[in-house]
Amino acid sequence: MHKHSWAFAVATASALAFTACAPGGGDTGDTGEGPIKIGIIADLTGATGDVGTPYNEGMLGYIDWLNSEGGIDGREIDATSKDYAYDVPTAERLYKEYLNDGAVAIQGWGTGDSEALMNKVAADELPFMSASYAEVLTDPAEAPYNFVVAPTYSDQMRVALNWIAEEEGAATDVAFLHSDSPFGLAPLEDGQSWIEDEGLDISMEAYAMPAGAANYVGLVSQAEQQGAKYIVIQNVSSPAAQVAKDIQAQGANIKIVCLNWCADEQFIDTAGDAAEGHILISPFAPSTAEMEGQQVIEDYLSENGSSLEKEGLHYAQGWYTMHIMAEGMREVVEAGDDLTGEAIKTALETMGPIDTGGVVGTGEVEFSEDSHRGQTGTGIYVAEGGEMKPLETGVTP
Amino acid sequence: MAASATGIFHRTYQRELALRHTRAEYVRLALVVVAILATPYLVDFYWLSVVNTILIAVIGAVGLNILVGFTGQISLGQGGFLAVGAFTSALLYQRAELPAPLSIACAVIVTAGAGALFGLPALRLKGLYLAIATLASQEIIVFIARRWTFLRDGSAPLSVDRLHIGGFEISRELFEWQWYWILVTCAVLSVLAARNLFRSSLGRSFMAVRDQDIAASAMGVNVTRAKVTAFAVSSGFVGFAGALSAHYTETVTWEAFTLEVSILYLAMIIVGGLGSIAGSVYGAFFLMLLPLFLNEVLHAAGDSLPFLLGRLPAIENAVFGLVIIVFLLVEPRGLDRIWQRMKDYIRFWPFRY
Repeated sequence: MHKHSWAFAVATASALAFTACAPGGGDTGDTGEGPIKIGIIADLTGATGDVGTPYNEGMLGYIDWLNSEGGIDGREIDATSKDYAYDVPTAERLYKEYLNDGAVAIQGWGTGDSEALMNKVAADELPFMSASYAEVLTDPAEAPYNFVVAPTYSDQMRVALNWIAEEEGAATDVAFLHSDSPFGLAPLEDGQSWIEDEGLDISMEAYAMPAGAANYVGLVSQAEQQGAKYIVIQNVSSPAAQVAKDIQAQGANIKIVCLNWCADEQFIDTAGDAAEGHILISPFAPSTAEMEGQQVIEDYLSENGSSLEKEGLHYAQGWYTMHIMAEGMREVVEAGDDLTGEAIKTALETMGPIDTGGVVGTGEVEFSEDSHRGQTGTGIYVAEGGEMKPLETGVTP
Repeated sequence: MAASATGIFHRTYQRELALRHTRAEYVRLALVVVAILATPYLVDFYWLSVVNTILIAVIGAVGLNILVGFTGQISLGQGGFLAVGAFTSALLYQRAELPAPLSIACAVIVTAGAGALFGLPALRLKGLYLAIATLASQEIIVFIARRWTFLRDGSAPLSVDRLHIGGFEISRELFEWQWYWILVTCAVLSVLAARNLFRSSLGRSFMAVRDQDIAASAMGVNVTRAKVTAFAVSSGFVGFAGALSAHYTETVTWEAFTLEVSILYLAMIIVGGLGSIAGSVYGAFFLMLLPLFLNEVLHAAGDSLPFLLGRLPAIENAVFGLVIIVFLLVEPRGLDRIWQRMKDYIRFWPFRY
């Protein structure tokens, strides 16, 4: 016993001595030469992998294209992309890996993990763009290092509700089917207060879509009982396509309004003719919208034996999200400043509009010190003849 | 507690009560101390962050092992109890502005209370039935965490300010390094506390209940009290781990406390060794490092085998399942028992036993 407590005392004493002398940091910060490091947290195999994969490929495609064009002022981008399978703790681990590797910016993915990392990126001063367009990420007071390139889920929801109210012209019922996650719930509250504030004649009920369900027959009949003529879906393409099939199978007279993450070609391809007539709210232009900003992607893809039509609009979404981050970096490098996270943040806030050739919302993305809401405009499409046919573009709430 | 190994004879009662009996055990203790002290200087901040999450898992696994391994009450409610600890500490620290040590202490007490409450069915239920009852507690707690807006900051998950105790605040540059010392101290204290618990009458009453509850009650053990106390003590440890994870990750979201987490912790103690404190530590290290190790291997082999890389999570799940099956078949008493057998082999050499 005596020996034991002696060893313990020595251990405690030396622990105190050791803690007094801290080690030098890891590989932090940018050295001013060599490739620029970026970390990408991607979902390739998780719950949102169906849309996460083309998005990630779009990002990597852009980097490949940019590097072949000479990079940013002669410096290439060295991006590490790893799959986190939509799991928050894994995203936290990957983030720390990138931080330790000296990344100057992070490209994230989901709402849950973006919100969970929000304080971390602020403390570590790393600009963070993600494919989550949750409202909270646009407020620099809450999330100073998060940048949202597209209209938020709430804005998309507002556009959807406006469209429904206008289309219907009378009192109507809407069912809101959402992914059972922070991503799914993100636009719910804002949507409800929009109905009240704008005095829209809509009554809306929310239903959570259980993950991994074989079908949504139960939810569709609940929506029917509610008397809903429209179902607004905040989920990814595969489950949304299943809802379309279930509606067709039940012969229900309900129109789907898909927000961003199910408003794509995948939804139409998966649902087949069950997709006909449904409405798709997409802030990113599909290949059928023919925007000039798509040309560069089209050229790059045709060199690599593919096409934007084949890759889908999420490819362009990933491409232009990375483009916006890269433009921020270019601004810093061209001004001759050190490429730090803080400098990129300031550049993005002060550099004025970034042109996306019409691909994102109304075409230009702009941030300011007071707002990291890059865009408010979105396109409205209808699924017709197996394609996304534009109804309106650049619609703002 | 297992009787001391064959071939070791005690001359005094004091020697018999000692935590360590052989010189080799003291050498090992010294090595462990050296390893603990040297780790933050040998690994970079990324790997230190991995070690930090493992240290939190160690505390959680020790807690679960007290309940499952030592008292024989199966629990699938681990994730839920972690959530109770995390939310309690975060709310007290953030909204009531309690100092961190106090908020963590309160979280331990509240989680112990929640554990005792959800442990009440254990008085009537055993085995699989109890497992389902604790599954209910997991689902109820996570359901509340998902739906109750009080547990969120508006639409964002609850965020926790950087840890500060008195005038000391964790710095940005040395984040992982400073947390390492905090977490390693907490983990060592938890392991020592649990180790000594089973040298006390309370701990022994837990084991008596596990081995034969009727015999235990005939011997004068109050089975009701032992079971509820076991749930409380175990949940106290788990709440401690949850509270630390809240302050360490600086955000609390229900997504980190799902049923998968409960199963992961059960796997830790099965692989490490049911009814062994050291086993909980081994199991936590083993199962937290397994996916990372797979990741490294597959990324290293990724260039030649690109099709494997795209299936990483599937492979991870398959290996995870395989490891549990292999352990249940080959060595149900886990890594701790394997270590014991290795020691016996050397001690008795050249004899078999």
